[in-house]
Order: sequence, then structure tokens, then C-alpha cells
Amino acid sequence: MSENEAWEPKIVAIVCNWCTYAGADLAGISRIQYPPNVRIIRTPCTGRINPFYIVKALQQGADGVLVSGCHPGECHYLTGNLSARRKFAMLKRFLNYLGLEADRTIFTWVSASEGERFANVIRGVTEKVRKLGPATKLVKSL
Amino acid sequence: MENIEKKMREEARRLLEEKRVDVLIGYEAGTLPLTATPCFITAPEEAERLVWNRFCNHNLAKYVHDVISQHRNSQKRVKPEDRKKKVVGVVARGCTTRSIVIHLQERQYGRDEVVIIGVPCTGYADRRKVSQALGGEAVLEGALEGDVIRAVTEGGEKKIAVADVLADNCRTCRFNNPIISDVMAGEAAPPMNPEAEYDEVTAFENLPIEERWAYFVKEMGKCIRCYACRQACPSCYCPVCFVEQSRPAWVGISDDPSDTQVFQIMRLYHMVGRCVDCGSCVSVCPMGVDLRKFLKKLDKDAFELFQNRAGSSLEDLPPLSRHRENDNEDFIYHPEIGGHNT
Repeated sequence: MSENEAWEPKIVAIVCNWCTYAGADLAGISRIQYPPNVRIIRTPCTGRINPFYIVKALQQGADGVLVSGCHPGECHYLTGNLSARRKFAMLKRFLNYLGLEADRTIFTWVSASEGERFANVIRGVTEKVRKLGPATKLVKSL
Repeated sequence: MENIEKKMREEARRLLEEKRVDVLIGYEAGTLPLTATPCFITAPEEAERLVWNRFCNHNLAKYVHDVISQHRNSQKRVKPEDRKKKVVGVVARGCTTRSIVIHLQERQYGRDEVVIIGVPCTGYADRRKVSQALGGEAVLEGALEGDVIRAVTEGGEKKIAVADVLADNCRTCRFNNPIISDVMAGEAAPPMNPEAEYDEVTAFENLPIEERWAYFVKEMGKCIRCYACRQACPSCYCPVCFVEQSRPAWVGISDDPSDTQVFQIMRLYHMVGRCVDCGSCVSVCPMGVDLRKFLKKLDKDAFELFQNRAGSSLEDLPPLSRHRENDNEDFIYHPEIGGHNT
């Protein structure tokens, strides 16, 4: 990458198939505009997401990682997002304790009917990460 | 301590005589002065080899798991009706029993496969601190006299108070008496100083973020990835560890500092609700990486968020194996308010 003017935040969004992925679809179908900085990875459920995915994404050069799934109580698999919530509560605090900025790892809920919310989340997250600048910590120099 | 040792030997002898255990895991005097080493005994007369002193720093739960899982693997070749159970006896202080509780909760073996000789513990001596007190000189001769370590080095004889070289995790230990036991060797020991348990973590939390990161990088820069911490940890028992998996290859094998950092982050994170602060990883680390500062944070968070202390009771399941509907949600991002609740 040449200099900061060319820099655009790179965000990895790991989302669940049943709610947030469908929410992203709805945002698309409804032609809601949101920043193109996000790369979406579809997983069956947030409970499926190994916290390692997040650390690994940060190491491989993602400037931010967003994880989003069904609202609590609405999980397709009943409680996948509840166990994910515990994992991520610990992970977020831990990464911040080590010295990684809290805004680089973001967790939220977006349901299948919330296209507008999905676009808002992406806008918000992109802005947060843009403010932080390019990731330097934990990034593997390739 | 001598009384505990005597009682422990008696109990060990009795268990072996009555054939209640097939093997008993305890400590014996090490080959060097001022050390102890794990030992496995199968005959009653061997009970005299057992020792209990300030140098017994290993967490023997690791060996309980090893022995039972190896035995089970060997039984796979035996016809189901001829399979035998192996009962392991173990000399266990507070942290060792906590590790056993975690194994039991994670269904690694049954309660009937392990017989616990509980020993009240008043902390062990940190070998690094002892070596520092002796100016790094090799110990030629050494002995414990009550609460004083007498060591002879080339520079002469020195006396060190045990209280001055107690391991950090022992100083603030909350569970120095066994959580579960079948027989106890001695009366419960007086409590240590658990109020100061999280002082170090709180101080670190209050540092600016860049300083925290610099410290983490500095500490992990020492790591040579020998995986001794994993080998010594009773909670690290996966048949194939993530660092050795090649599809996917979770951790890079280059000398890039981030590979080591990622390895450490993930190993530490695996300890959520499973680290009993026994100090094994710290004591085996050849490079002296300050692992405890990071592990203790996980312990603190698990208690703050889920009111769980790892292995503190058989009923209280590990925090990541259960959940509640009303768990803490402060970290969830809400675009309407542009941030988190906190």
C-alpha cells in the first residue's frame, strides 16, 4: 500500500447464515447503500465461529473484524448465539487487555428483517475503523 | 509439614495394600538438591519414597490424565468384556484438585477412576526466586529446616526464608486446601492472601493501551515456542493441539513475531474458565515469559462476567460450556447509539 490517502479500511464480517446474512441480502435487495469495505464470510451460526477466526483475520491484515448473528432468543439453533456471546465477551476484553484497540473487534446482532440496521452497522464500523487507521499490531508482515 | 508427609505416606501405603489404586502418583526427592520430582509407585513399600515439601511444584493432575488416557487407549485392543479399569491415586493440593475437577467436568475420566489424597498446602518455593536469592550459583547441598531453606553453594552457605521465595500464584492463592478428596493428610491449612489476587491485573488494566501492547510484545518476544507451557498444563490435553494441526494450519511456523503472539493468544484464550493458577506453565517456561499476568486476567473476567472460578466446585460448570439468557451484553455494538452500552 502506498500511503494513507489510498488506504481504505478492510473489514472482515463473519456472519450467521440465518439472520445477518439474510439481513445483508435484504439490504442489497432494498438497494440500501453501505460502504464497500466489508468482506462477508457466511457461517452456519455465530456459535460456529471459533474465536481463532477473529485473531487469525487480524493477523492476516484485517483492519477490523465484525461478528454478527441472530438476536438472543432468535437463534436458528436455539442457543448458538448465547454461547457465542460468552466466548466473545471474554475475547473482546482479553484482546483489549493485551493492547489491541477495542474497536477493531465488534460484535452485534442483525436479524433477517433488519436490512437498514445492517447498513447502519457497516457504516458505523467502517467509520470506527477508519478513525483507528491501518492495523499495525499483530499483523504478519508478508 | 513433616506430619503431613508422614500421614501422606501412611495413606498411600494403605491404598496400595488394600489395592484400591493401581498406581499412585506423588512427589519424590529430585536428583538435585532442593528439588522434587513426580513419581509413580505401585507397591506399598515404595510409599517411603514419597515426599511433601516446599519444592513439590508440579500439578500432578496432568499425569492423572496421561495415565488414564494412555490406559484407555491400550484397552481399545482388548475385547470389551475383558477390559479393565485403572484406578489412579494422586497426592493433590488445592490447585491439583481444581484441575481434577475440571477433568471430571469435561468428562475425561470418572470420579471412581481417581482416588485423591488431599494435602493442605501453604505454597511452594519458586525455583527462579531461589536461584536469584543465591545469585544464580549452583546449589551443591541443600535442606529445608522448617520454613528456612539452607543452601550451600561455592560461595558459601546461605539461608533463605521460604516466605521470601514463595511463588506468586501461591501468595494470593484462594484454594490452598483440596476442593475434593477421598482422604486427607492433615488439617486444613490457614488461608493465603486471596484479596490481593487481582492487584497485578488491575494495575496492568490501568496502563495506557500502547504500554500494554508493548509489554505483550516484549514478553512474547522471549517465547521460543518450545510448547513447554502446553506440555505442563493439566488443562492442555487435546490429542492433537491446534498448533500441530496442518489442515487448517492455525498457527504459522515462521519466525515472524505475530506467529508467536497468535499462538500465545490462542493458548491463553483456551484457558478461559480452565486455568487454576497452579503456576506450572510459569515454572517450566525456560524463557521466563510472564504468562500469569495474562492468565489471571481471564480468571478475573470469568469471575466478573460469569461468577465462575475455575474448578472451584463440581457443580459449577465451566463458563464457556453453559450460558444464560441474561448474560452480560455490554460489549454488543448498537449503531443507533454509535457504540456500546458501556
